[in-house]
Amino acid sequence: MAATLRIAAEVSNLAAIRRFVGQAAASLGVPARIVEGLELAVDELAMNIIQHGYRNQPGEIEIEVQGGGEAVVICLRDEAGPFDPTQQPDPDITLPLEERPIGGLGIFLARQQVDAMSYRRTSADRNELTLTKTLNNSSVQEPSEVTQHEHDQ
Amino acid sequence: MEITVSQAQGRVPVTIFGIQGDIDVTSYEQLQALAKQSAEAGTQHLILDLSAVPYVSSAGIRAINTIFNLLRRNAPNESDEAVRRGLRDGTFKSAHLKLLNPSPRVVEVLSIAGIDMLVEIHKDLNTAVAAF
Repeated sequence: MAATLRIAAEVSNLAAIRRFVGQAAASLGVPARIVEGLELAVDELAMNIIQHGYRNQPGEIEIEVQGGGEAVVICLRDEAGPFDPTQQPDPDITLPLEERPIGGLGIFLARQQVDAMSYRRTSADRNELTLTKTLNNSSVQEPSEVTQHEHDQ
Repeated sequence: MEITVSQAQGRVPVTIFGIQGDIDVTSYEQLQALAKQSAEAGTQHLILDLSAVPYVSSAGIRAINTIFNLLRRNAPNESDEAVRRGLRDGTFKSAHLKLLNPSPRVVEVLSIAGIDMLVEIHKDLNTAVAAF
């Protein structure tokens, strides 16, 4: 199962992006706590695409959420210049917040929410960022759209 | 995001921002601007009531950090060195800024970002007011 959103790369769309990710992940049966983390991760990374990829110029972001029983995988794709957030160093969290460069915080928060984050520049000159969150089998809930009728069968 | 401003009197006068809505990239500047305006009007002790804040992103963390610095005084016990030493020893918390009743989701983000090292988090308004 997969759900895809293609939307203008504008900060005013970030709330809609969060809602899309939340609804798509919940419909896959992902537990609420993990859904919240995925919303945060995509929000921060989409923000980076808008600011550092498109540099606040017009563009689009495509977000695809797919999953099965073991993992949820989210792809963010855009047509901005090459920008690889996985190469950004983590802030040194042993330093007081005062002394940390604040810019890397969004990507750091995103990384904390997923098990893997990989980047590639596609042959079609797109950036593609793939987030993978592994689910424990015990943590997967019944997808919310499954009806009682289907249970009965 | 909407912010309701109220006052409480403890040992010192305390200003309370009741924030409703997400603190994200579309709203953090509004929060920072109101805090700056309030500080310029004399506020020295501020509580950010996060009870009705469903979501905080890195932009919200940036705003809270900015407000922490805005309220910091040029006093020996709040110097860069004192803050650094206090953070290292686990003895520093802002004397000017407290957070009230964040959701578990928001607490997690505050914690990952290290804001909870700088600012006390309270669950009860009276306790927060009395903590100044």
